[in-house]
Amino acid sequence: MNEIRPPASPRTSAHRSPRLARLAPPLAVLGLVIAGWYGLAYSLDNNFASADGSALIIPPPHQLFVGLNAATVSRIASATWVSLGTAAVGFLLAILVGVVLGVAMSFSRSLESALWPWLIAVQVTPVIVLTPINVRVVGASFTARLIVTVLIAFFPIASNTLFGMRSVGTALHDVFTLAGASRWHRLIHLQLPAASPAIFAGLRVSAGLAVIGAVVGDFFFTRGTPGLGRLITFFFQDTRSGPMFVTALIAALIGLCFFLAVAALRRLLVSPWHRP
Amino acid sequence: MAVDTRIAAQLRDVHHRFGEVGVLRDVALTVRSGEIVAIVGPSGCGKTTLLRIVAGLLTPSGGEVARPDSGVGFVFQEPALLAWRRVDSNARLLARGDDAIVDHLLAVSGLLEHRHKWPHELSGGMKMRLSLVRSLAARPHLLLLDEPFGALDQITRHRLHDEFGALHESEGFSALLVTHSIDEAVYLADRVLVMSSAPGRIVGEFAVPFPRPRSDHLRYSSEFAALVGNVARSLYRYAGDA
Repeated sequence: MNEIRPPASPRTSAHRSPRLARLAPPLAVLGLVIAGWYGLAYSLDNNFASADGSALIIPPPHQLFVGLNAATVSRIASATWVSLGTAAVGFLLAILVGVVLGVAMSFSRSLESALWPWLIAVQVTPVIVLTPINVRVVGASFTARLIVTVLIAFFPIASNTLFGMRSVGTALHDVFTLAGASRWHRLIHLQLPAASPAIFAGLRVSAGLAVIGAVVGDFFFTRGTPGLGRLITFFFQDTRSGPMFVTALIAALIGLCFFLAVAALRRLLVSPWHRP
Repeated sequence: MAVDTRIAAQLRDVHHRFGEVGVLRDVALTVRSGEIVAIVGPSGCGKTTLLRIVAGLLTPSGGEVARPDSGVGFVFQEPALLAWRRVDSNARLLARGDDAIVDHLLAVSGLLEHRHKWPHELSGGMKMRLSLVRSLAARPHLLLLDEPFGALDQITRHRLHDEFGALHESEGFSALLVTHSIDEAVYLADRVLVMSSAPGRIVGEFAVPFPRPRSDHLRYSSEFAALVGNVARSLYRYAGDA
């Protein structure tokens, strides 16, 4: 008698450790990047022509922290604090401005038609180039830094909020109309929750933009405590490639943290119920 | 305009146009208290428009509409649930603080054990049950239903017909049901109204004499088939090119 056996799964290894299977491809890319990094560092002419043998152009990964004395670490820390503060407060303000604009435009077609072209104009303008004007008008203050950040980051939130608010189904609106719901009640209990997946899609884009605004806008601030952007230009002029790379990595890490914070909040508030 | 207590809703000479297009013409109908009235008609004949006018969601171009002062319940073609609220919270959306009725309705609809689930975790039939529970939790005198069972498979649909019949027996609401299905209309209603193609008007009225509670056996009786046939003939006569 022939025994019937279940067919062997062709994906046995993936079944055994799905987590490892998921992490393997990005880790492989990380390995390639580091290999490329080493390759580039050691293939550049004159990269190690300095007196003490430290890298002049690109430090290989194991030399990143060479030349990081206490004074440099302290400068990087205070610059990180400035840029992190600018990005965080700017991002929160961008959320406020974006959601309020999106909601306001969803309430009034005439307001939408009045504002939308100008919002597009702000969006397609590389706002960074307005930073010098902004600094002249407001001064090289925290406020000026915030203005740059908000101008760069608010648009995806505004447009996604508008889209989300408009995508609420007629039947759902009818349920609230028949219940005699006020506009406020409808906004809080129907439109904003329904729009939240779209709003979070906007937040994900804006989180990165806020960090870009805070760091790149900083290039134009010649007074006050430097942020990460200006510090990078200092280290660039000093030909101190190690600290320059560390500063750039910190900027990238701040961007990553913002992205992960938005993702975590989305997983908490939206993922349990939302099925696209 | 309110109506006397024996009448749940009344329309007189109602007509409606969307721009140049006539949708409804000289519609008159009455739903008596506790009665289920079904409307069948070809696609695009204005059935949904008529229902929205009765609900007060749409003001007709002309004519008189009387509906209960306490408002109406509405069950839409789609369940129209709030995806971000669990079953329990959806059921309570319109309940006006009456927890006992919600618990009772969830229990008789078999949803009590699913009360902590999200809507996306429910089957199509359970979503429609929840939609019905939500509407009935507001204790409406008149329930309007716009093809609520149209998207369900036949077994689920028939099961929901019986559950709806039982709820009607226990809660005593009046209902105006719009449907594509003549079977469904005859099985559920006390009267079936036939609408013509657009601009829709009422062209036929059939009393349904079968006693309640009705059971699945009725669907296979010759009397049921004969009445369905009569309604169908009336419908096809006025269906036009629809």
